Amino acid sequence: MFIGTEKLTHTYMPGTPFATEALQDVSFNLQQGEFALIIGPSGSGKSTLIQHLNGLLRPTSGRVLFEGIAVGSNKHELLRLRRRIGLVFQIPEEQFFSESVFDEIAFAPRNLGLDESEVEKRVNESLEKVGMQAEKFRNRHPFRLSAGQKRLVAIAAVLSLQPEVLIFDEPTVGLDAISRKNLYNLLTALNQKDGLTVIISTHHLDQAAALADSVLVLNQGRLVMAGPAENIFNKRKQLYELGLTLPPVTEIMHELAEKGLPVKTAVYTLQEARGEIKNMKRRYKP
Amino acid sequence: MSRSIILGQYLPGESLIHRLNPRLKILTLVLILILLFTLETYSALAAFLAFALLLFALAKVPFRYLLRGLRPVLFIALFALVIYFFFTSGGIVLVRIGFITVESEGVIEGLFIVTRLAALVLFSLLVTLTTTPLSLTHGMGYFLKPLRYVGLPAEEVAMIMSVSLRFIPTLMEESQRLMRAQLARGADFETGSIFRKARSLVPLIVPLFVSAFRRADELALAMEARCYRIGAKRTRMHEDVILPRDWAVLAFVIMLLFVTYTFGF
Ligand SMILES: Nc1ncnc2c1ncn2[C@@H]1O[C@H](COP(=O)(O)OP(=O)(O)O)[C@@H](O)[C@H]1O
Ligand SMILES: [Mg+2]
Repeated sequence: MFIGTEKLTHTYMPGTPFATEALQDVSFNLQQGEFALIIGPSGSGKSTLIQHLNGLLRPTSGRVLFEGIAVGSNKHELLRLRRRIGLVFQIPEEQFFSESVFDEIAFAPRNLGLDESEVEKRVNESLEKVGMQAEKFRNRHPFRLSAGQKRLVAIAAVLSLQPEVLIFDEPTVGLDAISRKNLYNLLTALNQKDGLTVIISTHHLDQAAALADSVLVLNQGRLVMAGPAENIFNKRKQLYELGLTLPPVTEIMHELAEKGLPVKTAVYTLQEARGEIKNMKRRYKP
Repeated sequence: MSRSIILGQYLPGESLIHRLNPRLKILTLVLILILLFTLETYSALAAFLAFALLLFALAKVPFRYLLRGLRPVLFIALFALVIYFFFTSGGIVLVRIGFITVESEGVIEGLFIVTRLAALVLFSLLVTLTTTPLSLTHGMGYFLKPLRYVGLPAEEVAMIMSVSLRFIPTLMEESQRLMRAQLARGADFETGSIFRKARSLVPLIVPLFVSAFRRADELALAMEARCYRIGAKRTRMHEDVILPRDWAVLAFVIMLLFVTYTFGF
């Protein structure tokens, strides 16, 4: 077990009339190097769960485990842990606070106490990684970038920590199709090339489905399904009842299969679908 | 939305006291406070205290909220007690420590003052616990209205108050969000010297101001888009009607209080 929880329960504002049970008895574990997806409708507890994974929220009961050790057992430990597990919040660009892209990204390495030349190196690397030219963007004002660029800068600002685990809360919300595609390419590269463990949450399954190794499904604060992506995405009806639809191509493949055509349904991108349908046409003799 | 109501001390409920008209509630509170300030006998004070507790029971406020409400005045109360105990003379000497004496007059007066203070706090607390902050400001705005004739823009003052109230929880949430975002990027607000801790707050304050101004701008735009004009006469979505029930409660309270007040026990 690399990262996971044991009977994690979280209640906001316990003991007041406003108490909300945001998580109840959630237990799961993920392996190092995995690409994991947390899906669930709005208000199902995704953000709450994610903030437990790097100790920003403390469990009301239960535990969060990282490499077998309970998260948050002591303050200094927690600080070190947060530097190993990077978290990109929902709409992270709303949290910019610097006057330049450079300072924004340098915040994390400066917190690590690195010297200025090392900080500079990390900023350049991080910008490069998200596909932005350091020279062109370092002195720009972060608030005056396009939505897609802001999101990338916000991600670079966490990459500069050089974490081993990267967690994203609804990373594609508010982005156009192109930025979304670029973002998924970036996530794939981080996971496959750099070997980072990547965890993302979303209430809307799209290209993300194609990338996932394993999936956690939350509903009203409970973990209702968990397992390898293929198994979860096969339970189309159950997902549908939770208000979660599969990506449109996958839906089409399911409908073709229901019509009796011999196609594979675990298909999440247009490209795969095209190949699968071609194959099927070759094989299929009505 | 539910999160924003927690500001102040409002405790949602359905009791008669919750549903009373806020204007009359404020008026009644003022009456009670005036009477409390003028009454002079222990028996009348006791009756007022009993009345306060009865109202708390009616409003179904848990007991710990009552204690929590009294905590802030604990220090003042202790201070007053010390002053009265040691510096008021008269009556019989109860305790003598060297040349300092505690005399009965002082004890009697000190306890009276402190009990009165507690009663004042309890009645005010009851109103803030059972009225939403928004209704409270509307109610107060109503009583400010006559001041228009001496040049105070009463409507606008009330609007400023309710807008500020509306934004306090938002800003609190925002500061928490920022803090978490910076924690997630390796910021350290917890360890190190006080000086270091204070310095680590600087990157929090700047964006808070920025976002407060941005929000103010957006709000102004939204209000203008809905035809808000300074000085224009405004009506309200929730009409502030005073029901016969409200008058009855007011009359009852006044009667009760005057009886206690005039006759003592
Ligand atoms: N700071 C908070 N205070 C009180 N309740 C909260 C807070 N944050 C979230 N909640 C509540 O917890 C539940 C789960 O919220 P959240 O984790 O944000 O869900 P999701 O990210 O899946 O939309 C919701 O009912 C929400 O209203
Ligand atoms: Mg969320």
